[in-house]
Amino acid sequence: MKVHIDEIKCSGHGRCAKYAPEVFRLSDDDGYNADRGQTIDVPAAEEKNAAIGIRSCPERAITVVAE
Amino acid sequence: MSDDATVVPVDPETTPDALIERFGRDLVNDFDLDDPAFNEKFDETLNFMVRKCPVVHSKVGRGYYLINTQDDVRAAAQNWQTFSSAKGYMPNRPEGLPYLMPEESDPPIHTRWRAKLNPHLSPKTVATYEQAVRDDVNELIDRFIDRGSCEFISEFGALLPGWAFFKNVLGLPIDDLAMLVNGVEEGTFHPDLSERARHFAEVFGYLENHLKWRATQPSRGDLIDTILAGVTYDDGTESPWEHKVSILVDLTFGGIATTTFVMGSAIHHLATHSDQRELLIGDPSLIENAIEEYARFFPPVVGLGRTTTRDVEVSGTTIKEGEFVILTYACASRDPRHMEEPEKIDVRREGIPHSTFGVGPHRCIGSNLARVELTATLEEWLKRIPEFRVKAGTEPTYVTGYLRSMRTLQLEW
Ligand code: HEM
Ligand code: SF4
Repeated sequence: MKVHIDEIKCSGHGRCAKYAPEVFRLSDDDGYNADRGQTIDVPAAEEKNAAIGIRSCPERAITVVAE
Repeated sequence: MSDDATVVPVDPETTPDALIERFGRDLVNDFDLDDPAFNEKFDETLNFMVRKCPVVHSKVGRGYYLINTQDDVRAAAQNWQTFSSAKGYMPNRPEGLPYLMPEESDPPIHTRWRAKLNPHLSPKTVATYEQAVRDDVNELIDRFIDRGSCEFISEFGALLPGWAFFKNVLGLPIDDLAMLVNGVEEGTFHPDLSERARHFAEVFGYLENHLKWRATQPSRGDLIDTILAGVTYDDGTESPWEHKVSILVDLTFGGIATTTFVMGSAIHHLATHSDQRELLIGDPSLIENAIEEYARFFPPVVGLGRTTTRDVEVSGTTIKEGEFVILTYACASRDPRHMEEPEKIDVRREGIPHSTFGVGPHRCIGSNLARVELTATLEEWLKRIPEFRVKAGTEPTYVTGYLRSMRTLQLEW
């Protein structure tokens, strides 16, 4: 699965990385998603955690992209 | 006419008569955040509005709207071009109160400040305060544990957030905390609007003096020095002194006026639900998720305002340019369109899409610190006082406006 993190919508709630730390990383500097504006891979084993992280994002900043 | 598609069937629950009967007023056309009935029927009103009243209007003062569903709140919060923060977040703002940056500004001014301030309150930075906060939790508990009782708000909940923020982040003395807490509380809830302004002015004066003093001291490289250094706005001008003072005021408001309510409400919930205490004591790894659920269900910020910069339609209601609109975060966090049984507290929910810390570019800058305070509180409290209850014959007391606050909570063990 691939997901895209919206550069503008992400406002640094940090929920994604809390629930799926293997998938989502926060910037050390400001705490926003470090891959803002990027599309990243979600390993199959992490899909469940990633889904919880995505659901917890108050901005709906993370979307699954069709492969 | 009955087959005319534009006729919306009338919901018997939202007719003015039905609303007056149930809530004491027609809350669709004449809502009032400061109505004591809202304070008393807080949960019922939120649950009702998010389901039945996507947009409500208030005739109080200059008037304002509330928008209540999660989708509408998110869309408005992210659309700062249409829903501007530059005219303030308080409904019927007291006259003469200076605007508070960064909250009462829009991008790009807002963006410049947040870029400088964020690193001081990022997850990585606040993690370095965790042990100090935990020690403070224990120091406060030491003061009353042997007594077998406490008044939670004045002896713990109103102190810890100020200690955590002042000692670790601002370097302000905690001796003056009581005065500041009172100033912010009265400035928010005082029934007389001119009294609100007077109390806020006191807090401004105190914090401005501190900033002036720090400007004469060697740099410590902390948040205050970042504020003093200021930012350059896009037009090339340097941020003026008043903006710097207002940054410190805004941070202090946020730092001391909100977290207490989540703390007090969580402790109250645990005091009255022994099964929930046992659950968290048996599996402390649930505490972090529990805090998200408590934050969802016990929102200190009912809603904060924006001013429309053009006519806009929200769930079928046209809101004209220049209107004051409250984004009811407290309703958005209970939207049944986005979660099952939102009126129930369930610390095992997987993924809690709440709006308690706001949405959009103004996302609470203190959210990471608040989470550290709440985690340390529940973990240490449950270790040291695993059995506790509300003092017989008492009940917690609340006050509500655009913020909600717990005034007293008597506990014994
Ligand atoms: C449980 C505790 C807290 C809650 C529920 C809370 C809630 C909120 C909300 C809803 C907003 C959004 C404002 C808007 O949409 O206009 C906000 C902003 C803000 N909060 Fe908090 N807050 C909490 C704790 C804190 C703490 C501990 C601090 C300071 C250390 C703080 C400082 C601020 C500041 C400065 C802003 C303005 C941010 C901006 O406009 O960019 N808050 N808070
Ligand atoms: S939860 Fe959403 S807003 Fe928060 S850091 Fe992750 S992507 Fe950004």
